[in-house]
Amino acid sequence: MTQRTAVSIDPITLDIIESALKNARFEMDAVLYRTAMSPSVREQHDEFPMITDPDGRMVVGQFGSYIPELLKDFGPIEEGDVILMSDPYECAGSISHLNDWMVIYPIFYDGQRVGFSSLFGHMMDVGGPVPGSQPQHATTIFGEGLRIPPVKLFERGKLNESLLKLILHNVRTPEMNRSDLMGIIAGCRVAARRVQELCDRFGKETYLAACQELLDRTRRAMAKLIRRYIKEKKKTFIDWVDEDGLGNGPFKMQLTVWREGEKAYFDFTGTSRQAPGPINFHINEGLMKMFCGVYLIMNTDPQILFNDGFYDLFEVILPKGTIMNPEFPAAVGNRLNTHTRMFDVLSGALGLHDRQLGMAAGYGTSPYFVYSGRDRRGNYFQLVELLFGGIPGRPHDDGLDGHSWWPLFTANATEYLESYYPVRIEQYYPRRDTGGPGRHRGGTGILKKYTFLEPGEVSINDDRHITHPWGIWGGRHGGRSYKKLIKRDGTEIELPAQKDFIRVEPGDQLLFCTAGAGGWGDPLERAPHRVWLDVIRGLVSIEQARDGYGVVIDERTMELDERATEELRAKMREKRGPLPDFDFGPRPEVIPPSEWQG
Amino acid sequence: MAYRLGIDVGGTFTDLLLLDVQSGKTFLVKTPSTPQDPSVGIMEGIERICQVAGLSPGEIAQVLHGTTVATNAVLEGKGARVGLLTTEGYRYILHLARSWTPGPLFGWIIMKKPEPLAAIEDTREVEERLSPTGEVVRPLNEEKVRRDIIDLRDRGIESLTVSLLHSYANPVHERRIKELAAELCPDIPISISSEILPEFREYERTLTTVMNAYVKPKVRSYFLNFERKLREAGINSVVNVVRSDGGLMTLRAAQDRPVYGLLSGPAGGVVAAAYVGRLAGHPSVLSLDMGGTSTDVALTRNGQLTIARETKVGYYPVKSPSVDVQTIGAGGGSIAHVPEVTGALRVGPQSAGADPGPACYGRGGQEATVTDANLVLGHLPPQLVGGEMSLDVDAAHRAVERIGRRLGLDVHQAAQGILDIVNENMFGALRLVSVERGIDPREFALVAFGGAGPMHANALGRLIGSWPVIIPPDPGVLSALGFLISEFKNEFAQTFIRVMDDRLTLDEVLSTMDRLGEEARQWLIEEGIPPQDQDIRFNIDVRYYRQGYEIPLDVTHDQLRREGLASLKRRFDEIHHQLYGFIPATPMELVNIRAIGVGRIKHFELHKHEPAPGEAAEAIIDQHRIYFDGEFIPTPIYDRSRLGVGHQLTGPAIITQYDTTTVVLPGYQCTVDEYLNLLIRPQT
Repeated sequence: MTQRTAVSIDPITLDIIESALKNARFEMDAVLYRTAMSPSVREQHDEFPMITDPDGRMVVGQFGSYIPELLKDFGPIEEGDVILMSDPYECAGSISHLNDWMVIYPIFYDGQRVGFSSLFGHMMDVGGPVPGSQPQHATTIFGEGLRIPPVKLFERGKLNESLLKLILHNVRTPEMNRSDLMGIIAGCRVAARRVQELCDRFGKETYLAACQELLDRTRRAMAKLIRRYIKEKKKTFIDWVDEDGLGNGPFKMQLTVWREGEKAYFDFTGTSRQAPGPINFHINEGLMKMFCGVYLIMNTDPQILFNDGFYDLFEVILPKGTIMNPEFPAAVGNRLNTHTRMFDVLSGALGLHDRQLGMAAGYGTSPYFVYSGRDRRGNYFQLVELLFGGIPGRPHDDGLDGHSWWPLFTANATEYLESYYPVRIEQYYPRRDTGGPGRHRGGTGILKKYTFLEPGEVSINDDRHITHPWGIWGGRHGGRSYKKLIKRDGTEIELPAQKDFIRVEPGDQLLFCTAGAGGWGDPLERAPHRVWLDVIRGLVSIEQARDGYGVVIDERTMELDERATEELRAKMREKRGPLPDFDFGPRPEVIPPSEWQG
Repeated sequence: MAYRLGIDVGGTFTDLLLLDVQSGKTFLVKTPSTPQDPSVGIMEGIERICQVAGLSPGEIAQVLHGTTVATNAVLEGKGARVGLLTTEGYRYILHLARSWTPGPLFGWIIMKKPEPLAAIEDTREVEERLSPTGEVVRPLNEEKVRRDIIDLRDRGIESLTVSLLHSYANPVHERRIKELAAELCPDIPISISSEILPEFREYERTLTTVMNAYVKPKVRSYFLNFERKLREAGINSVVNVVRSDGGLMTLRAAQDRPVYGLLSGPAGGVVAAAYVGRLAGHPSVLSLDMGGTSTDVALTRNGQLTIARETKVGYYPVKSPSVDVQTIGAGGGSIAHVPEVTGALRVGPQSAGADPGPACYGRGGQEATVTDANLVLGHLPPQLVGGEMSLDVDAAHRAVERIGRRLGLDVHQAAQGILDIVNENMFGALRLVSVERGIDPREFALVAFGGAGPMHANALGRLIGSWPVIIPPDPGVLSALGFLISEFKNEFAQTFIRVMDDRLTLDEVLSTMDRLGEEARQWLIEEGIPPQDQDIRFNIDVRYYRQGYEIPLDVTHDQLRREGLASLKRRFDEIHHQLYGFIPATPMELVNIRAIGVGRIKHFELHKHEPAPGEAAEAIIDQHRIYFDGEFIPTPIYDRSRLGVGHQLTGPAIITQYDTTTVVLPGYQCTVDEYLNLLIRPQT
C-alpha cells in the first residue's frame, strides 16, 4: 500500500468530497450514453463505472474494484496510459466474459497517482464463430472471440493505432466498438478531471485522506450491519442453474452463510463442478464481497456509500473447478445465468438469517436475442437485444412486471428497432399468471413477438425454463420462460432456452417469453380488490385468482364476490398446513428430492 | 395607458408584477395563494396592485400568466381519468414503461413506481399498423375503434389519448380516430400523439400525450374560470400563458396543449435571469432559483436559453420543449440529518415544507433545516425588515445543536456544515448545466433569486467562479418579471432520420425547412402577430449514425444554401470533439428538423435609476456579530430599500429586504447598478 501522510479531515469536507465523487460517477454514465453507438450501451445502458483510490480500491461505483489484482503483475503505469482488457482469466475475474471491454485510467496529480477511473461496457460483438459473440456451443474461452489481456491502448497519451486496428479487425461491428470504446475512455477522462479539480480545491493530501476515510466509514457501517443481521449459526441455501447450452444440467449452487466475530462468511462449497458449456462464472473475490455487501446495504440503509472499505469483513470461499470458479480455459460467455442464480441463493441464505433480507427469485438471468444477416441491399445487420422479466415480490410492494433486474438498463423502443433493423415487433406484453401469488405479487415475465423481414440467423439465451423462480415467506413460485418459432406456414417449433444458428426467413416469427418472479408473503393476505384489479388488467387469470389467492370473481360480470372470497379463503386456510418459507414449485425429475435443500 | 401584468401562481404565494410599458416602472404585490380556487388569490392581488399603481383594471392591456395547476395535478395524482388507444400489441406500453429500474445494484428493492396515468383497463388496442417510413402495413379497422371509443366513454373516461406506432411518420390513422371520437363523444377532449409530440420512441411520445390528456380538463376549467373572473373585473385585455420553454401561447393553445406549460414558473425565472443579466452587461448567466423545498438551476449563453427536449415531472419523463432546468431537492426547508450507520451529515432531499417548516418558524418543526442553520450563524436576521414574521432563534439553536452532537461539532460548526453541504449539492447542479456540457462557468455571471437564493449566492459564486453574482431588486418575484418579457413561441418539428450521404440532397432538407417554416408562419398569423414582429428560426438535431443522443444545431436557409450540408458536419465534429475528445468515423445523421416561430412582443426596458446621493453606510440599520467560515465577525446589516445606484459596500455584510436576505462574505464587495441590482465580486 502507498504510504500516506496523516492528514486529519473534518467531517464536512469529507461529505463534500463524497458528494463530488458521486456526481463524477454519474457524469461518467452521461458522457458514455451520449457518445456510444451500440444499442446495448446507448439504449440499454449495459455499462459500469468506478473511481478508486491510488491503490485501486473502489471509492464510488457499482461493482467493486478489480484493480488491485491487476496492479500486482502489470508493471509501471504512467500518466497518460490507458489500459484495456477483456479476458476474465487475465484479471482474476474482474470482468466475466469477453464482451465486456474494460478501460482503466490512472489519475495523476502533480506527477503522483491519486486514483483510477474505470468503466466497462458490453460490446455488440467481439468476434468468434457466432454474431454477438456468446456462442452456446463453446467449450473453451478460445471459442468465444477475441481475448484482450491487460494492454496499454494509450501509452503516455499516445494511442497505439496498430493495436486498435488489430482489435477492431477481429470484430463484426468495428465502428460501433470503436465509438463505444472511445466513449468509455471519454467517461474515464471526465472522472479524472473531477478528481484533479478536487485536489486543486482541497489539496492532494486532504483528498487522499478523504478517500481513506470514506473507505473506513463504510467499513464501520458494514461492521454494524453484519453484527445486526448475520447470525453465528450456519444457514445453507441451494438453487439450480438450468442448463449450459450443451444439454447438461441442472447445475447446483449451494451457499452457506455464517458469522464469526465481526466477520461474515460466504461459502459456496457444495456447488457443481464447472460446466462443459459457457455458463461458468469466473468471479473476482472482491466483486463477490461487493455483491454481498451491496445487498445488505440496499435492504437496510440505501444511503450508505458502498465501496471497497469493508472487504476484510467478508470471507468468500469459491471452490476451484466449480461453476463459481472455473479453471482456465473453461468457456464463460453465458455466465449471467450463473451470476444471477448467485443473487438468488444470496437472497435465500441471508433471508434465513433475517427475514427482512429475504427476497423472492426473479426472472433469473439476462435473456438475450441476436438477429443477424444481410438485407436486400447487401448491408450486414446485427441486432443484439437484452430482455427483461419479473422482478421479485418485495417487502414493501409488488414485484415489477417486465422490468430490469439490472440497474439503469432500459428496453429498446420498438420504433427504434424497426427503424434500424429488418424486424417488426408485433406484441410486447406482460405474461399473465407468471407473477407468483403473494401478499406482494411477483412481477410477470415478458412476451415479445418478433416478425422477421429478412432472412437471417437468430441466437437466444434464457434460463428458468426448467426450474421456477421461487416465492418466499408464503409467497408462491412464478412462471417459467419459453420460446417458440412460428414459421410463415404456421408450423410451430418449440425452442430450447439456449440456441444459436436458428435460420429464419421473411415472415417467420419468434415468440420470446421470459420468466416471472416469485411472490412475497401469504397470498391470502392480499387485498381482494388488488387481486381483482390484476384480473381485469389481464395480469392474473380468474383461475389463479381463485386457486392462488382465494379470490372469487364472477366470470360473466367480472365482479368481485366478497362473500364467496371470504368463505373460500377460510376454507383454504383451514386446509393448508403451516406456510413454507420457500415455494420452489414442481421440481424437475433430474434433481433428486434429497438435493433440494441443504 | 399600456400596462402589462405578470401573474405567477406558486404553491405558497401568488406574485403579481405590473409594468408601465411607457416608463418601464414596475409595481409588485404578493398575496397568499388559494389552492382551492387560485383565481380568488389572483383577483385579490389584482385589486391590490391596481390600488398601488393607481389605475383601473380596464387599463391593463395584457395579462401574462404562469401556473402550477397542471404540474400539481400530476404530482398530486389529481388529473382526469384518461382513456388510451394504442396500436395492437401495445396495450401495456405505459405499464411496462421502458423496464427501467434505478441504480445502484438492487436499486429495484427500493423503487417506487406510480400507477400509469392511463389505467390498463381504460386502454384499448387499435387494429392498424404503419411502417417506420409511414406506409400503411395494416389498414385501420374503424368499426372496432368506434366500439372501443363508445365503450371507454360509457366507462366514464374524461379525456382521450390516441398514440399509435410510427404516427410521427404518418398521422393518417390518428387523425381519422380523432374525427371518429369527435363525432362519438364531442364533450371529451382528445389528444393525439402526432400533434403533441411528432417524434420517434413510442413510450415517451405516448406518455407525453397521455400527460397532456391527464391535465387537460383541469387546466381547461381553470382557465375558463380565470378568464371569466378577469372579464367580470373589467379586464378585457389579451391573456397569454407562458410555456415551459419560456415562450407565450394563447389561452386556447394552453387549454389544448397544457403539457407545453407544465414548467411555466421555472421558465419565467430563467427568462428573467437572462434579461437581468443582459441589462447588467452580462448576457451569459447561470441562474439559481432557491426556494423552500427545491432549487432550479439553468444556463443561458449569450442571451440564448438552453432548451431541453425532455424533462421530468415526478417519476414521469415528459418530452416537451422546456427551459433546461436542473431541479434538486435542496432549499431553505431541506432537513439536515445524520444517519446512524454512517454518521455522515446529509441535507435533504426531505423538506420541512411550509408546514411545520423549519424549527425557527415555531410551528412545531423539530428538525434542523438550512434556514435554521442560516439563522444560527446570523446570515438570516431574526427579524425581517418588513417585521411581519419573527423567527425563534432558540428553537433553531436546539435543532442544529442536536445535529452537532451527532457529529462532535459545536452548534456553529454544525450550522456551517449544513450550509456547506447544501451549497455543495447546488454546486453539483450548476456544474451539471455548465462544466459537464463543456462550458466554462467562469465566463458566466450568476443570477440568484427565490426566497433563499441571495443568502447562498456569494458562497456559490465562490465555488463555481462565476462573477459577478447578481441579485435583482425583487428576487422573490422574478418569474413574474420573466412572463412580462416572454415572446410568442411555438415549435414545428419533423422527425427526419437520414444519414448524410450522397442520397441526401440539400433540396430535401431545405424544402422540409420551408414547409415547417410555413406552418410556423401560419401559426403566427393565427396568433395575430403582425408581420414585422414575426421571426422564424430553424434548428436541426444531428448525431453520428447509431448514436442515441442528438445535438441541435442552429441553421438558416441562406447559410445552408451557401455552405451546403457539409458545413453541418464540420460544426458537429467540432462540438463533439470539444465535448468528448473524439470524432467517430461514422457518417453524421439528421434526426429532427425544427422551425420555431417567434412573435416578438413590444420591446421595453426596465426603468433606469439615477445615481443616488450619499453612501451605502447610511443604509446600515444594525450591527451583529456573525459567523463566517469559523469565526465571529462584526457585521453591518443594511436595509436594501435605502441602497441606491452607485453605492458600494464590502463584506461581511447582510442586506435585508421585504422577502429575502443577501449575504456578502468577507473578502467580497457589492455595488448597486443603475437597475438596482446588487453585483457581488471578489474584493480587488
